[in-house]
Amino acid sequence: MKKITLEFTLNGDPTKVEIDENTRLLDMLRDVLNLTGTKEGCGVGECGACTVIVNGDAVDSCLVLAASVAGKSVTTIEGLSKNGELDVIQQAVLNHHALQCGFCTPGFIMSAKALLDKNPHPTREEIKIAISGNLCRCTGYQQLVDAFEEAAEHYQSAAQ
Amino acid sequence: MQKLSYLKPQSLAEALDFLNQYGEKCKPYAGGTDLMVQLREEAPRLRGVEYLMDLGALEETRGIEVGEDLISIGTMTTHTQVNTSPVLRQHVPFLSEASSTVGSTQIRNNGTVGGNICNASPAADTLSPFVALNARLVAVSVNGTRRVDLKDAFVKAGVLKLEPNEMVTRIEIDRIDDYSTAFIKLGRRKALAISRMNAAVALKLENGVIQAARIAPGCVFATPDRVERAEALIVGKAPSDELFTQAGLAVSEEMIARTGVRWSTEYKKPVIEALIRRALCRAAGLPED
Repeated sequence: MKKITLEFTLNGDPTKVEIDENTRLLDMLRDVLNLTGTKEGCGVGECGACTVIVNGDAVDSCLVLAASVAGKSVTTIEGLSKNGELDVIQQAVLNHHALQCGFCTPGFIMSAKALLDKNPHPTREEIKIAISGNLCRCTGYQQLVDAFEEAAEHYQSAAQ
Repeated sequence: MQKLSYLKPQSLAEALDFLNQYGEKCKPYAGGTDLMVQLREEAPRLRGVEYLMDLGALEETRGIEVGEDLISIGTMTTHTQVNTSPVLRQHVPFLSEASSTVGSTQIRNNGTVGGNICNASPAADTLSPFVALNARLVAVSVNGTRRVDLKDAFVKAGVLKLEPNEMVTRIEIDRIDDYSTAFIKLGRRKALAISRMNAAVALKLENGVIQAARIAPGCVFATPDRVERAEALIVGKAPSDELFTQAGLAVSEEMIARTGVRWSTEYKKPVIEALIRRALCRAAGLPED
């Protein structure tokens, strides 16, 4: 298997990594870069546990060829907290007890972040559409939507 | 995971050279949302494929251009872009709506209209509006460019009538500014479900009379098509629930004529009739129930 050198921006930092040419973005993040916050659930784009943000858009990293992110900006759950402080979305999820086992949580948070970065004034319906590609099997959707509404308020007050 | 070599052509000419050289050994990679699953499952349809060709750098496959009588959509346009494009929302709202029902937000952000067509699944959500819009595929190879009508482009499920050295760069559709359109999808749930069946319709209404109609049921034929008999039935008449019920019957009769009576027909017949009737009512501004 041929190796290729991939250059892209990871959580704000220029990154250069050598990978097998047919590696999935998910496997590169977890196995090569040791960023294990991004989870593999179904591996076929149904569950959203592997959601990361590429150039501003939430995508399933299990369905992305790592090589295709050359020159792009990738944000993972590890890129959210700053100086040991949780991001407002992460904090809102804690405030609302919006998780049980936590396996789906990074994916949900990345979907919410992609939404709020573009639209800090989402309706409840828009939040539901944004997380419609994320599954929670412990059943916490209500609390998650509440949490993302609270996070949106932080986005709005930060913008003022 | 099937092991393939990665190619990233920087120009269309380079991409066409790769296709000419490798033919069926070379698989174009658009959004990856179907292909990555097929690779993971080492799907039989990828047997013999040795190269993945990333189309991400090809400008010719991007952008939405509105001409005088047609709209040209680059094959690498994502479903999110189709759904949010102001010109498509204005000119062909039922296509935008169909795109909004594909997969999930994550899938729509990566999945492309070109991939939705070229993957050639009979359950693809966007095929019926594209067929209603008389979509043409712009197929390009080192030998030149040709246009293939979408409804004639399928050999069978999963297989397009393209030469091994050809790729689709754009999809051209009719401008139907004076039509009103509707799309209704029936899936197992709202997100992450392919179409069980769907209906895409367009009506041109003048002075309370249907001047022209396009009726494209989705996922009921082996390959996507309009039902001209149902269209002819309603042209020249005033829209009504009763008329649209007849159009729905014409579509279900066509379905049975083409695919025969199957175990699922008992379910599909009344459902496709209802989808067609409701879509026509919606397009005509009549109550649906």
